[in-house]
Amino acid sequence: MTAATTTAVRVPVDVLTARRRGLDPRTKIVLLVLVSGLVMAPGGLRFVLPGILLAVGLAVWDRAWRRLATLLVMVGAMWLIGWGLPLLWPNIVTATLSLLGVYGIRFVTAIGVGMHVVATTSPTQLSAGLRAWHVPRAIAVTLAVMLRFFPVVAIEARAVLDAMRLRGLTGIGGFLRHPLRSIERFTVPMIAASLRAGEDLSASAILRGLGSHRVPTAMIPPRFGIADLLLVLAVAALAAASLLLPSPLG
Amino acid sequence: MTDDTTRDAGATASADDTGAATAADTGTDTTTATAAPAAATAAPASPSARGTDAARPPFSVKFSARDLLSVAIFGVIYFVVVYAIAMLGIIGPLAMLLTLPLAIVAAGIPYMLFLTRVKHAGMVTLFGLVVGAVYLVSGQPLISFLLTIVVSLVAEVVLWLGRYRSRWAAIWTYAVYSLWFIGPLLPLVINRQEYLASQGMSVMGPEYVAAFDQLFSLTVVWIYNVSTLVFGFLGGLLGSAILRKHFVRAGLA
Repeated sequence: MTAATTTAVRVPVDVLTARRRGLDPRTKIVLLVLVSGLVMAPGGLRFVLPGILLAVGLAVWDRAWRRLATLLVMVGAMWLIGWGLPLLWPNIVTATLSLLGVYGIRFVTAIGVGMHVVATTSPTQLSAGLRAWHVPRAIAVTLAVMLRFFPVVAIEARAVLDAMRLRGLTGIGGFLRHPLRSIERFTVPMIAASLRAGEDLSASAILRGLGSHRVPTAMIPPRFGIADLLLVLAVAALAAASLLLPSPLG
Repeated sequence: MTDDTTRDAGATASADDTGAATAADTGTDTTTATAAPAAATAAPASPSARGTDAARPPFSVKFSARDLLSVAIFGVIYFVVVYAIAMLGIIGPLAMLLTLPLAIVAAGIPYMLFLTRVKHAGMVTLFGLVVGAVYLVSGQPLISFLLTIVVSLVAEVVLWLGRYRSRWAAIWTYAVYSLWFIGPLLPLVINRQEYLASQGMSVMGPEYVAAFDQLFSLTVVWIYNVSTLVFGFLGGLLGSAILRKHFVRAGLA
């Protein structure tokens, strides 16, 4: 998750200069729900490899090499835990751990698609897409604000962790010895700092008409384009392949 | 920071409809004094204007902009706290057994602070819905999202029974809401045979798989479910204590 949030910080989608248009936000949401639903469902293991291919394809398309590397490392680790290790060194521990890998690889597949959604969707695009679907105002506005607020809280959390490290308060050992005190020392300043930042954000957002009952005009209205068509074709091909060909993960 | 907020803080792209809309929207709110001076210009009749009885807030699911921002901000904080602590469990499954309960307990602090800002129906449900949606983006199973919505509806009822004022109702609200932590485990229970038939398990032979099946029985699953509720309750207690110790003093609660 930290990887996803850092990507969100590093690659702000500049709405005004977005000439190279990506997927429609609605397509991304449907894709995410589809992949997450299929991969975690009974018999979902056959959809894992197509899902990973899709996530890798999206990362390459975005030229997000860091995301690609993170994704491949996570997939590799899960495959090693779930399949490689028990075969190389069969014992009780690796066999039990393999369940974690089998579950984790499904998780990582969904995260891979989710990272694309987080990295490429700006709050304005998200709310424009949700508005086009007539999602209730409360939900659409809240989700858009959350997307905007994630980098802020992530930065505050990191700052608190850094301060704790400076004072020598972090580390697994200390955490295990005084779990409640560690929680308090991390959570309380993090919440206070985030709320302070949130006050500014709220004031600015409300003044700019956030949550108004009027329908705002989207600068880039959500439209389905060539990119969405390509994705639908790719998903159809991958789905057909995963249903017809034998599953490599078994 | 200032630069960022002025760029894309939210939903609107046009600037000229803000004045009227803001006034109409925040007129129902009592806590906007610091944030929206524009709201004072208009006070439209709203459902909440009827209720003068302080002990029983009127039933209203109208969200002010302030309410939505509270849900969003605390939703993000809740998510980050859970993730920051649960991430420690990546090191190993044994650590995960320890960090998951800790994450439930720790997230009680932002949640209890959130509940102090809840004044009417719908906010707890909205919180569950949007946080569940964010968890969906971060790889949680779809079934967990559905469970989160059901659980937050129940939590909503619990908080309503306390008339949005009771401290104990708030603690129980968090305990009930914490039951969503069962969600990520649900696929392991539902697809149990599939997981047990995985390659890594079958290497050990059928006796081991049978023994594991015995161990990972429904009793263990129920112990996990009940412990989720218990740790949620402890998280509510801790959150309420921290609230008094830090946030009330700082004027944040």
